[in-house]
Amino acid sequence: MSDLLAFIGSRQAEFLARTGEHVVLVAVSTLIAAAIGIPLGMLAARRPSAAKPIVALANLAQTVPSLALFGFLIPLPVIGGIGTRTALVALTLYAVLPVLRGTITGIQGVPAAVTECAAAMGLTPRQVLTQVEWPLALPSIVSGLRVAVVIGVGTATIASAIGAGGLGDYIFRGLAMVDSTVILAGAVPAAVLALVGDGVLALAGRFADPRRRSTRGRLPAAALAIVVIASLSAAVWAGGLAGRRDVIVGSKNFTEQIVLGELVAQVIERHGLNVERRFNLGGTAIAHQALVSGGLDAYVEYSGTALTAIFDMPPSTNATLVLELIRNRYAALGVTVLPRLGYNNTFAILVRKADADRLGLRSIGDLNKFSRARAGFGYEFLERPDGLTGLAAAYGLSFEGQPRTMDLNLIYRAVASGEIDVTAGDMTSGQIEALNLVVLEDDRRYFPVYEAVPVVRAGVLLRYPQVAEALRRLEGVISNETMRRLNYAVDAEKQDAFQVVKEFLDTIDRS
Amino acid sequence: MGSSDAVTVTGVSVTRGARRVLRDVSLTVANGEVVALVGRSGSGKTTLLRLINRLLDPDAGEVIVEGRAVRDWDSVVLRRRTGYVIQDAGLFPHMTVASNIAVVPRLLQWPPDRIAARVDALLDMVGLAAGEYRNRWPDELSGGQRQRVSLARALAADPPLLLMDEPFGALDPITRSELHDEFRRLQASLRRAVVLVTHDMVEAFALADRIAVLHDGEIVACDVPASVLASTDPRVEPLVRTRVAPKRSEAGTVEPKRGEVG
Repeated sequence: MSDLLAFIGSRQAEFLARTGEHVVLVAVSTLIAAAIGIPLGMLAARRPSAAKPIVALANLAQTVPSLALFGFLIPLPVIGGIGTRTALVALTLYAVLPVLRGTITGIQGVPAAVTECAAAMGLTPRQVLTQVEWPLALPSIVSGLRVAVVIGVGTATIASAIGAGGLGDYIFRGLAMVDSTVILAGAVPAAVLALVGDGVLALAGRFADPRRRSTRGRLPAAALAIVVIASLSAAVWAGGLAGRRDVIVGSKNFTEQIVLGELVAQVIERHGLNVERRFNLGGTAIAHQALVSGGLDAYVEYSGTALTAIFDMPPSTNATLVLELIRNRYAALGVTVLPRLGYNNTFAILVRKADADRLGLRSIGDLNKFSRARAGFGYEFLERPDGLTGLAAAYGLSFEGQPRTMDLNLIYRAVASGEIDVTAGDMTSGQIEALNLVVLEDDRRYFPVYEAVPVVRAGVLLRYPQVAEALRRLEGVISNETMRRLNYAVDAEKQDAFQVVKEFLDTIDRS
Repeated sequence: MGSSDAVTVTGVSVTRGARRVLRDVSLTVANGEVVALVGRSGSGKTTLLRLINRLLDPDAGEVIVEGRAVRDWDSVVLRRRTGYVIQDAGLFPHMTVASNIAVVPRLLQWPPDRIAARVDALLDMVGLAAGEYRNRWPDELSGGQRQRVSLARALAADPPLLLMDEPFGALDPITRSELHDEFRRLQASLRRAVVLVTHDMVEAFALADRIAVLHDGEIVACDVPASVLASTDPRVEPLVRTRVAPKRSEAGTVEPKRGEVG
């Protein structure tokens, strides 16, 4: 718990921004759902024949798993894409059903004698609705809204995957880092938010109840309602402030991407522009879709990933060719590929430094000097076309017995502890240096290149020439070793990515 | 149809699906007169009542209120000039007693002090102490008190015509008889035209100047109570005999309600 408080305390501004985003997501989607669900519910309550299909439709919307719903929405025009708008669409869809149900129940619960009397006394149909049915249905409508808010707070955490921000950012980041403190930094405030939202609406419902016997309790309720409305508007206003940005920088949802996102964001900020961060996007497809649709202005992609995953071409080991290919394909989409950061995040064949020194191992081919070497790999490396089979053929390698398969997170430690002798890791993993491992050179250039390149919307570069200037400062400044060090600082030493990147940029600026 | 008639119903028929709910019904209610509509359940008495304030429109025939066909009335205006009391009182549960009584005056945009004074006067009139009941909620009242409030509400804007649908039907016999007395006292001074639907013959005889007997959507008798009582019409006689004849002398006092007529 104290860890959690310390974590939140150390990044108050970010925490408040995330919380604000979360509140705005839930508040706005609930308001929209109310604007849709209440009139629709009134219609349905009056015409039971209409009620069935309406409720069935709303039910259907609610049964779609939230992540899947976001997935469906991303490719759609207008309501799709990534970011707040899409999240609001999805959250609204979820919130409509409880509001609808509450309204139908409320209106149908008004005794027939009462509405008949109202009509017979000369209330117009509109007056019957506003003076009789509405106030009597209100408690039920409020309980529908309360359910909607509680569901909304939970579902909004998933909105982080499509770049809508909110407390889900911490949950996804924590999952990626396997750090429960970070997960709790998102989960605990979300739970508190759900309780507060529910409580506020419960109070608001009591406040709206015409049957408050006395004025006692009315004042605190009014004060509370004002405080809540004020803080909501403040959150919206803060959201509006965050909206006053020049450039939106994104990242995918693993540590290195968050470091790179910070790097791009801060270097642009140092050139005098306001940057909005949309980190932790749930994968390459989402990040790319966001870039193309304008939800993002810039993020760092890997050349080989762009080639194979985005543009669907076969992998290549020719760095220049790959860059050329993706530069043309990106250009057609209105995206500019800026100069490479310098490192190549491909597979790294790893051995212990002691073995490398003892046997004089420098390149992958030298492994043939390592007799009876025991190998272990992640499942993926054994399967993929650019994995083990091709590697063994390219270098004429043979290992002692069948290579062991193990979880990717464990392979580094397995080599360090001598359980195995050789593995294929991630070139930029912070564990390489930390565990005293050595990368063998791929001198026959077997592995496809995955060079880190900033990709930026061309329109942004035209509007803000400083962006290109800023990102050119990053050309070639990140070696494999540098990236490992930065990853290690954030992943293993649990340092704040913002701080790590800031210190790194300070050293570049000084040089 | 004289100008002294509050309501004139001429040759009215109402059809629901294949069923004729009312068949060629004609009825006149004079100003200041209480007419009771009696008959078994389903005989069409509530339907006839609802034609008068245009909660329903007839398929044939004409309904005239205050010398003007109801279809020429703005139905909202017509209803605000017509008091309405139903069995379950139909009080608005989210409004206080005072607020309930003030509904029509508010709709008519009376000034607030006039409304407040009127509410207090009406509460007094129906036998409820204004200071004590003004700010109560309907669910804090007994059935009889609710019905008194409902009556006060119907009288609020001083309507020339009152429509009452089984107004005292849900009350225990003692309370009902108290309210009968109350109603007679009020009517003696107010002299409104009243159409009262009831299936309680005792009530009809106690309150009405004339009784209209409905049978299968037709008016089979319409006369002063004594004549209805004397009727030998096989559609009228059983109704009157089972309910009133044995205790004629006690009509309108404590008469335990026996089995339902229909």
